[in-house]
Amino acid sequence: MASAALESIKVLELGGMVSAPFCGKLLGDFGAEIVKIEPLDGDVSRGWGPFPGGQPHSEKSGLFFALNTNKRSVALDADDERAAPAMDALIGWADVIVHNFLPGRAEALGLTFDRLRAANPDIVVVAITPFGSSGPYAAWKGYDLNAFHLTATGSRYCGHAGKPPLEHGTFAADFYGGMTAATWGLGALYGRSRCGAQSLDVSCAEAIAATFVGGQNIGGCAQDGRFEKRTGVGMPLGAPATILPCKDGHVWMLALEPGQWNGLARAMGEPDWMQLEMFQDMFTRAQNSDAIYPLIEEWTMQHGKFEIMEKCQAEGVPVTAVFTVAEAAEHPHLEARDFLVELEHAELGTVRTLGAPFKFPSCPGGPTRPAPLLGEHSAEVLTSIAGLSAAEYEELCSQGVARGVRQGGTQ
Amino acid sequence: MSDAATTAPLAGVRVANFGWVWAGPVAGQTLAFMGADVVKIESRTRIDLTRTLPPFGGGEPGPDRSLSNHACWAGNGSITLNLKKPEAIELALQLVAECDVVIENFGPGVMTNMGLGYDVLRKTRPDLVMFSMPAAGLYGPLRDVRTYGLSLTSITGLDSLVGYRGGPPVPVENAFSDPYNGIMGAFAVLTALFHRDRTGEGQHIDYSQAEAVMQMVAPAYMDYALNGRVAGPMGNAHPLGAAAPHGVFPCKGDDRWISIAVLTDDEWSALVGAMEGPSWATEGKYDTTAGRVAAADELHASLAEWTAGFDDRELAERLQSAGVAAAPVLNVGDLLEDPHYRARNTFIEVRHPLGFDETIYGKYVKTTAPTPDTRPGPVMGQDNERVFKDLLGIAGEHFDNLVKDEIIY
Repeated sequence: MASAALESIKVLELGGMVSAPFCGKLLGDFGAEIVKIEPLDGDVSRGWGPFPGGQPHSEKSGLFFALNTNKRSVALDADDERAAPAMDALIGWADVIVHNFLPGRAEALGLTFDRLRAANPDIVVVAITPFGSSGPYAAWKGYDLNAFHLTATGSRYCGHAGKPPLEHGTFAADFYGGMTAATWGLGALYGRSRCGAQSLDVSCAEAIAATFVGGQNIGGCAQDGRFEKRTGVGMPLGAPATILPCKDGHVWMLALEPGQWNGLARAMGEPDWMQLEMFQDMFTRAQNSDAIYPLIEEWTMQHGKFEIMEKCQAEGVPVTAVFTVAEAAEHPHLEARDFLVELEHAELGTVRTLGAPFKFPSCPGGPTRPAPLLGEHSAEVLTSIAGLSAAEYEELCSQGVARGVRQGGTQ
Repeated sequence: MSDAATTAPLAGVRVANFGWVWAGPVAGQTLAFMGADVVKIESRTRIDLTRTLPPFGGGEPGPDRSLSNHACWAGNGSITLNLKKPEAIELALQLVAECDVVIENFGPGVMTNMGLGYDVLRKTRPDLVMFSMPAAGLYGPLRDVRTYGLSLTSITGLDSLVGYRGGPPVPVENAFSDPYNGIMGAFAVLTALFHRDRTGEGQHIDYSQAEAVMQMVAPAYMDYALNGRVAGPMGNAHPLGAAAPHGVFPCKGDDRWISIAVLTDDEWSALVGAMEGPSWATEGKYDTTAGRVAAADELHASLAEWTAGFDDRELAERLQSAGVAAAPVLNVGDLLEDPHYRARNTFIEVRHPLGFDETIYGKYVKTTAPTPDTRPGPVMGQDNERVFKDLLGIAGEHFDNLVKDEIIY
């Protein structure tokens, strides 16, 4: 079998929760060698679940599993100066260091660019923070929710007027920031022969504020001083373009171009009102949305979401069912593409996790090894890569600076 | 600028970008930010929809004046080729022969039908990296599914999680997945370039936008995988229900809000301290995460009463000094004024070749490597002479004829 695309890249990952682990996971999906340093009580997301049966257990977090496949875990108290020789060796070993510490915390751990570059002249350092490592909010404490709502995404695009702006039902800012970090970090690695050591400051908030909200809104806002807010309707200026209820859930109802509108009419059995002159373009339909949405809904409420999707798609109309998470996971399409991957885990048993985000015909990709137990690879990594003797490793453990796997995890 | 052309991380990487609308152009833009030479192939026979979107520079409509287009396409160059003509296909093949990467975001089979499928392209450039990013990938039962960027997320489960708790799904009013997939698309391209450099092999990347978006569904997906539970709209709650308070709370003024997320008992104590210990917060039931999560609705209602009396920015400062993760909820207008984004040059004013100034986003990841200056999205065909004459060596008279015959068009 061909070797993985990134197999020559060595990654040292520190931090936890979502952003830095997702960055590491993407690199690991395509063969990069990931050593993850966890604090002695583990990555915070080990405590978040979801847990089988809702029973908290530090080795059974589903989110930790999904974000940490193909990695090795070293449980090490990086704040303790007795860990310094091992940390220095790992810094020297790595091609890239990915972390999501705030600047003050990174400095306390010795993870500043100047110090890392002195230790490893070709190092690429990727710092992922909620707001960014420079600027007035650099020292602010922030979680995904805080970063997300600093982007104006909720205010502009998500929620009803007068009601709170909404997140996307996931750690959207952390995922976006982690993914952005993987892309730019890989670009930095690609250019390393020319550029040498590089430091990357990734702000989860800025990545979205710029590329999503900024891309569509900032030019007009700067020029004309006007801007829009959320409406709760998919596309207020064209119709139909929103989520509507149906017999067994919801559909994304979209029929903007003339051909799509005619296709929708055929799918709905050519009702007379759809032929009216006033409904022949998407803008006048939107101006009359109070009239047309209830009429379309009358039809959708009589049919199932997949039936509606199938009928409309066959007529060339881009209507889709709003898949539940179960429907998305069980769809034959994903099975045909072998997207979901089953892996064996010592505590969770067989886990069906998400596969690689894209397919390479010429080389493998995706999770092949389960997320590690906390400290599962402490001995192996610290004695091989970090060059400690077995006795030195045992001493670190007895001093409470490092640890291997504890039987049964922590409840 | 000229420095970065030879010293930036991706200097020397050349990309032909057949991408249109948003996701494909962002994939090219991302590589261009890091120094790749990216040209978009487009045509006046079918002007890209996003070039026609208002508002326009100076308020004057025109395909080279759409402000949103200039932000989303910044970094891409542009050549014009009428790909309905066989001579134009020949020129496209000549260009691809000089490129490391081809990007496209049409539906599956569209490039092949134009005579630009991977099998054809690899003959002219054997180690080519071709990046295709259809909605659901290049094969499988949903291969030909029709979606828009803003509805693509519906087939991933993500849309089913967005909305107020207990209510119906609320549509996200623009295509969050487009720039997400554009940037992750550049990751896919770079990964394939690593493989090419090690092995000499190119390949055709099968990038399903839906599968890339599903990565973001991981929290709810894993609850389904482990417990068979199917989540609904989550509001602003912690996606795994592992924390409270966790939400957006009203502040003084019209549509002003603050986000507050309390993940630990220490942070809760800090919040209680900042509130000066109101009795509702100190009666014991909120002392643990489990207690706070169990009574989250009541807790959120009490907290909202308190936040409503404050200015959002003042309250964020106050809570931050106490050690609580809190930040103002910004609207679009706030982005330009926000001191943090100003300090980071998130948004920059640039001069468009047609003579007007406009605001776009700049290099949103701050790096120490040299990178090119950010230029606005291209004027149609601005790189025609550079590409056709300088790169492909087409003589002046021949070039003029190709323009006259509307092949370069």
